[in-house]
Amino acid sequence: MNGEHGLRTKASSSRRGFGFHDQRTAYRLIFPTLIVIAAVNFYPLFKGIKESFYSYSFIRPWEYAFIGFGNYIRAFQNHEFWSSLWISILWTIGGVILSYVLGLIPAVLLDKPFRGRGIYRTILMIPWIVPPVVSSMTWRWMFSDLDGYINVTLSSLGLISEPIYWLSDTRLALLACIIANVWRTYPFFMVNMLSALSGIPDEVYEAASVDGASKWQTFWYVTFPVILPVTVVSTLLQSIWIFNNFDIIYALTGGGPAERTTTLIIRAYREAFYYLEFGQGAAIAVISMVMMLILGMYYLRLQARTEM
Amino acid sequence: MKNKTFSKVFWKIVKHAVLLLFVAFTLIPVLWMLSTSFKPKTELYTNLSLIPTRFDFSSYAHVWRETDFPLWFRNSAVISLSSTGLSLVIGSLAAYSLSRFRYRGRNLFGQVLLIIQMFPGILLVIPMFLIMSKINLLDTRLGVIITYLAFGLPTATWMLKGYFDTIPRELEEAAMIDGCSTISAFGRIVLPISGPGITSVAIFTLLLSWNEFLYAFIFLKSSSNYTLTLGLVSFMDQFSNQWDNLMTAATLITLPVLFFFLLLQKYFTRGLIAGATKG
Repeated sequence: MNGEHGLRTKASSSRRGFGFHDQRTAYRLIFPTLIVIAAVNFYPLFKGIKESFYSYSFIRPWEYAFIGFGNYIRAFQNHEFWSSLWISILWTIGGVILSYVLGLIPAVLLDKPFRGRGIYRTILMIPWIVPPVVSSMTWRWMFSDLDGYINVTLSSLGLISEPIYWLSDTRLALLACIIANVWRTYPFFMVNMLSALSGIPDEVYEAASVDGASKWQTFWYVTFPVILPVTVVSTLLQSIWIFNNFDIIYALTGGGPAERTTTLIIRAYREAFYYLEFGQGAAIAVISMVMMLILGMYYLRLQARTEM
Repeated sequence: MKNKTFSKVFWKIVKHAVLLLFVAFTLIPVLWMLSTSFKPKTELYTNLSLIPTRFDFSSYAHVWRETDFPLWFRNSAVISLSSTGLSLVIGSLAAYSLSRFRYRGRNLFGQVLLIIQMFPGILLVIPMFLIMSKINLLDTRLGVIITYLAFGLPTATWMLKGYFDTIPRELEEAAMIDGCSTISAFGRIVLPISGPGITSVAIFTLLLSWNEFLYAFIFLKSSSNYTLTLGLVSFMDQFSNQWDNLMTAATLITLPVLFFFLLLQKYFTRGLIAGATKG
């Protein structure tokens, strides 16, 4: 709201069309951005929605025709769609919860200054800058059956006698993908929690300790309420990003084994660019977007309370 | 008294032990990647050490001299720099407008910028593929530069708006009383003092473009046009399980980012704060 305040200074209120009151300048400044966003975001978006109502196969282009909700009905009738939806949900919720917890722990430990704090912080942020494809490739090598780091270490410690088939066992592949993804996303939570925690003055902690609060009570009654808004916002954003993620799973398992890691996003890709059924692929992508828009609207409402 | 110091020391040990576990979880994959790239072929499957004992550069020589890797490096640099540059130039104008002016549609525009970042990439890439093939930009670097604006521009605009909001407007208003126009107040007063803000936005947008995979994967077909991330995935087919070459390529892609991260960490951190942008 500090913007509103500036409007009432003497310089700008003297005359209409002067300075920050000049509406035409304001529109002129956003015009180039509007044009580009219309061309690269909204035109493809509307075209994508349109194609989702058409029978549009690259192999049979002559069959191009409006079929209403045909692609959607076909998706909903396909049990593979529902299993992908379920995998998407597990992938998202599992990833968000794990990376939230893994982000919160170091954030709480790194809140107060101590020797070495900066080094810990720097190191723990590294996964976030590593290109997702690189981290997938490295985890793929880590998870490798006979010679990967994890299995070789486990067996040299005598913990396993047979290799664990992380990426080819249908029960483990999704878990392996989630682990690789959590490695990459937990720094996001750590950094955001740290910046929220730094807003709590030391006096509050001192007061709590004078009142005889235990460490756990202090966390639950002092710290947690303060970081709750950041928790909600960052969880929401990260859920959307994880749900929409393509790179990690594609480079790690390609959606296999037996489609056990085929999320809706991977399925949309496969329909469009493997089976060349653009209409069907677009329909699945639109369904994904609608689900994310529901979360997105909630995010905007939270955002509107703090911004603008 | 004695009890108190004991519990202090105890908590200190617990704290460092937990943090070291996190360091291990974080660094093992990175060190495994690095050490694999340096290990001689004979030790690849026998030596488990995370810190290379001997440095063998033969896989570096192989990846750099006998594949298209240097070309991909150049492509990635050209594509990320161009799309980031365009995003900054176009986006800074809109960001200034959002930060300083009050007008009809302003809130809506701001919300559009945020909501755009929630579209799944796959939703845009399907129609974008059809559009690009119609205007003959498929398999060109220009096509990829343009599509990267789809995430670069909203990100840059929104982050820059946040930065301009922190600059007090009194200076510009004083300049405007002296007859300076809004545009020149922006160019002469705001831009010159926005160095740190623009740097962090530029770094963040560069990082997003450098790391991008999906658009490049769908649009680029000939190896000479590949970006690094796409090249790395194509190595997967080419080298199947030659992990020394794969990890060498992975290291070479990560090193520039890692270098700048260690050098300019505080600028990176800003892009990671929630609400700002895409991760």
